[in-house]
Amino acid sequence: MNKQSAQKSKNIKYLRGTVLFPVLVLVTYGIIFAILPDKAWLALRSSGTVFLKLLQPLACVFMVMLVLNLLVKPAQIARFLGKGAGVKGIIFSVVAGIISMGPVYAWYPLLKEVREKGAGDGPIAIFLYNRAVKPFLLPVMIAYFGWAYVGILTILTVSVSIAVGYCLTVLMRNNSKRRYPHGFEQI
Amino acid sequence: MKIAIAAEGSDYQARVAHRFGMSPYLVIVDLDSGEFEPVTSPGASGKGGAGVQAVVLAVSKDVHAVLTGYCSPVARSHLMSNGIEVVTGVSGTVGEAVEKYKKGDLPKPLEADADRRTGDRKIDRVTLIRAMRSSVRQLTTLLPVMIGVVLLIGLLNTVVSKAVLMSIFSGNAALDTLWGACFGSILAGNPINSYVIGGEFLKHGVSLFAITALIVTWVTVGVAQLPAEIAALGKRFALFRNAICFVASLPISILTVVIFRLVTR
Repeated sequence: MNKQSAQKSKNIKYLRGTVLFPVLVLVTYGIIFAILPDKAWLALRSSGTVFLKLLQPLACVFMVMLVLNLLVKPAQIARFLGKGAGVKGIIFSVVAGIISMGPVYAWYPLLKEVREKGAGDGPIAIFLYNRAVKPFLLPVMIAYFGWAYVGILTILTVSVSIAVGYCLTVLMRNNSKRRYPHGFEQI
Repeated sequence: MKIAIAAEGSDYQARVAHRFGMSPYLVIVDLDSGEFEPVTSPGASGKGGAGVQAVVLAVSKDVHAVLTGYCSPVARSHLMSNGIEVVTGVSGTVGEAVEKYKKGDLPKPLEADADRRTGDRKIDRVTLIRAMRSSVRQLTTLLPVMIGVVLLIGLLNTVVSKAVLMSIFSGNAALDTLWGACFGSILAGNPINSYVIGGEFLKHGVSLFAITALIVTWVTVGVAQLPAEIAALGKRFALFRNAICFVASLPISILTVVIFRLVTR
C-alpha cells in the first residue's frame, strides 16, 4: 500500500512537472485567441518555424541518446564516483557527470548512496556541475550557437567544475566528521 | 577475491535471503583473508529502486560474485554487465554457502561471458530494443515541456516587443550576465529548453553574456531542486554548492563570450 501511494505521488509529481507548463501555455494561447486572434495565429506560425528548425537536431539527439543508453549503465556511472584518488578521481567524476542522463533528482538517491560509502563532496560537486555538458544535446546547441561557442563553453565548464569541487571541499571540511577517502582530500 | 551473500541477518549463521533485491543484508566475505563485513542492503527499505541500489552496493564493494536464492533479470543483467557472477538457487546459512562456493558445490554461476558467447545475437537485439525504448521514453519525457517552451517563444516573438526585452537586458555586460544567471537559477527543466530560449533571445538582440549565464546556471544552479538536494546531500552541501555555482557562472559567461569573440573575429 505504501509502495502504491509512493508511486501515485511520484506520478502526480511527474504530471505536474511535465504537463502543467504546456497546459498553462495553451490556456494563455486560448485567452489570446479570444482577444487578439491575429496575434495568436502569428505566434503559432512563429512557434512552427522554431519547431521545424529543431527537428533535425532532435533526430541527432535521439541517435546520441541511443548510443549512450547502449553503452552506459547507471550502476557503472555510480561506480566511477569516488573511485580513485586525486587526479584519477576527478577525471572519473567529470566523465560520470558528462555521460549521465535523466533529470537530476533521479540521481540524488544514488549520489546519497555513494556519498555514504565514502565518495567525497568534491567529486559529487564535479559530477553535478558536469551534467551541464550534455553530449546528446550538443546538436541542438550547435544549431543555435555554432561549434566555436559550444567548444569554448564546454572546455570552460569542465575546467571550472574542478575549481567548484575544490572550493566545496574546502568549505565543507570544517563541517565534517565523515571520512574523505577519495578525491580532493589528496590535493 | 570477495563475494557477497544476500542474507536475512548480519552473521555467518543467518539464512541466505531468497531475493537479492529485497534482502536486509549483504554479507561481504573476502575469501583470501577470511574477512567478513555485513552491510545493510538498500533492499531492507522496500522502496522502489532498492534492487538497483543493491546492485550499486555490490558493485561498489568490488565483489566477484553474488550468492542468493533468486535474482531478478534486471538486477542480474546489471550485475553481469559489471562483471559480477550471479549464483542463484543458494539456500542454507551464509557460512554453509561460503563453504559450498569454495568447494564448487553450488549451482553453476550464470556467467556474463558464457551467456554472451552462447547467445550473442539474441542479447544484442534485446539490449538494442531496451536502449531504443529508453531513448524514446527520454525523448517523449522532454517533449511536452519543450513544445510548451516553443509555443511560449512564439508568443514572445509576436507579443513581447524588443523594447521590453531591452529594458531588462540593457547591453551592460555585467548586469546582463547577472540577470541571465538569476533567470537560469530559477528556471528548471531539460537544458534543451535553455538552448531554445537562449537562441531565440539572441535573435532579439539580448547579449550573449546573458544567454551564456542563463545556459550555465540552468543546469548547475537549481533553486527549484534545492529541497530535493538538501534532503539527499545535506543543507550545507546544497547551499554551498548552489552559491559557488552561481558565482562561478559569472566569470565563465564573461570569459566564454570574450574568447568566442576573439576566436571568431
